[in-house]
Amino acid sequence: MATIEFQGKSFNVDEDGFIESYSEFSEEWVQWVKKEEGIDELTDEHRQVIKVLQDYYEKNGIAPMVRILSKLTGFKLKHIYELFPSGPGKGACKMAGLPKPTGCV
Amino acid sequence: MAFISSGYNPAEPMKDRITDIGPRSYEEFYPPVIAKNKGKWAYHEILEPGILVHVSETGDEVYTVRVGGCRLMSVTHIREICEIADKHCDGYLRFTTRNNIEFMVDSKDKVEPLKKDLAGRKFAGGSFKFPIGGTGAGVTNIIHTQGWIHCHTPATDASGPVKATMDALFDHFQSMDLPAQVRVSLACCLNMCGAVHCSDIAILGYHRKPPMIEDEYLDKMCEIPLAVAACPTAAIKPVKKTLEDGTEVKTVAVNNERCMYCGNCYTMCPALPLADKEGDGIVIMVGGKVSNRISAPKFSKVAVAFLPNNAPLWPETTAVIKQIIDAYSKDARKYERVGEWAERIGWERFFEKCNLEFTHHLIDDFRDPAYYTWRQTTQFKFTD
Repeated sequence: MATIEFQGKSFNVDEDGFIESYSEFSEEWVQWVKKEEGIDELTDEHRQVIKVLQDYYEKNGIAPMVRILSKLTGFKLKHIYELFPSGPGKGACKMAGLPKPTGCV
Repeated sequence: MAFISSGYNPAEPMKDRITDIGPRSYEEFYPPVIAKNKGKWAYHEILEPGILVHVSETGDEVYTVRVGGCRLMSVTHIREICEIADKHCDGYLRFTTRNNIEFMVDSKDKVEPLKKDLAGRKFAGGSFKFPIGGTGAGVTNIIHTQGWIHCHTPATDASGPVKATMDALFDHFQSMDLPAQVRVSLACCLNMCGAVHCSDIAILGYHRKPPMIEDEYLDKMCEIPLAVAACPTAAIKPVKKTLEDGTEVKTVAVNNERCMYCGNCYTMCPALPLADKEGDGIVIMVGGKVSNRISAPKFSKVAVAFLPNNAPLWPETTAVIKQIIDAYSKDARKYERVGEWAERIGWERFFEKCNLEFTHHLIDDFRDPAYYTWRQTTQFKFTD
């Protein structure tokens, strides 16, 4: 596990840059991932995707399926990719502090 | 080596980004004789092991020389393949669906020099670089997976056992002396990437111990409901646990009596590793096929429940495979695949002829369909 120092905070991350624990999530983490993912400006739509992911994770213990994310946010998959160029898994889940997607990815 | 940019600008990742262009069209890479005669082929012949001729309605002929490939290849090796194609085939070549390499020439007098060139090339260790064969009723290349080279869930290696098995079956690669073609495949865990579930002989990596549970990290790294739902026998349930330092964590409990070591939960949850040096090994399956010729496609069936991982040569595994192929080659009728042979003579005779031990592990016990694999008839043969 590597440690990242950013804006006075430190985060433990794995080799893919996912946060070690959801409990470490903070606003500074969002800013760090924004920089890492090459996102120019955080809009309300970014915030909305993160909020939906976090609410769903806290309630259900899993990240939502892509269709559910689309339905809950009202954004089509194409738009989610416009917001997070790495996609809902590597981009949005990382920024929301969720665990790294697993399986045959 | 110091960093050399390709022109990509990490500060503007979406600038000048090309996407969704798909693969190149296969037509760009047709040898002229193939492009000219596409859809007009009249018949073909296998001239000798590894060498085919296709004759077109227009009278054109194309000679194909098939050579074994190790699938896992260096760029140096690919360059050598290209060099051969440049020298003999005007720069054209193709790979088959079993990862053999095919060199095509448009006249008979170009075949002999190509053959001689290919057969003369060897690695420093003595292995053939381009062994000619893999056609007709023989053993062609082994479809295989990542193994210890690259994957994180394997129970055995892929490249190693494949090399050991092909060494043992090399004569069958370079000849067409079997009743029908024998397809051998390998998968290093029972995710079964590739063709093990539908091959004449299949080598499959297998665990024999339940996963270890890393309670401290599980909830941080895993989505617990996914690990629970990954289990085909419902051996996993969510629990709360108090660690030695007094913190209470969410984690899972595995009912070892229900666990059959498939490793699906590890695929979903990195905190449930189960690989084990002594526990892991190989299962041999037999009798699958995908073609519709004579009989319908079949799944392969488990014939040997466990063979140890004995790197680097897996002698137990190669011995069993040789045993099965020898018995099949001696006993089966022409055109009969391994599965067709076993079903005709009866599985009790198959085990007798191949001299394999039948153990209780081979009896299906997975859910309702297991019942259909038992024998609901008085028709059977006595064996020794």
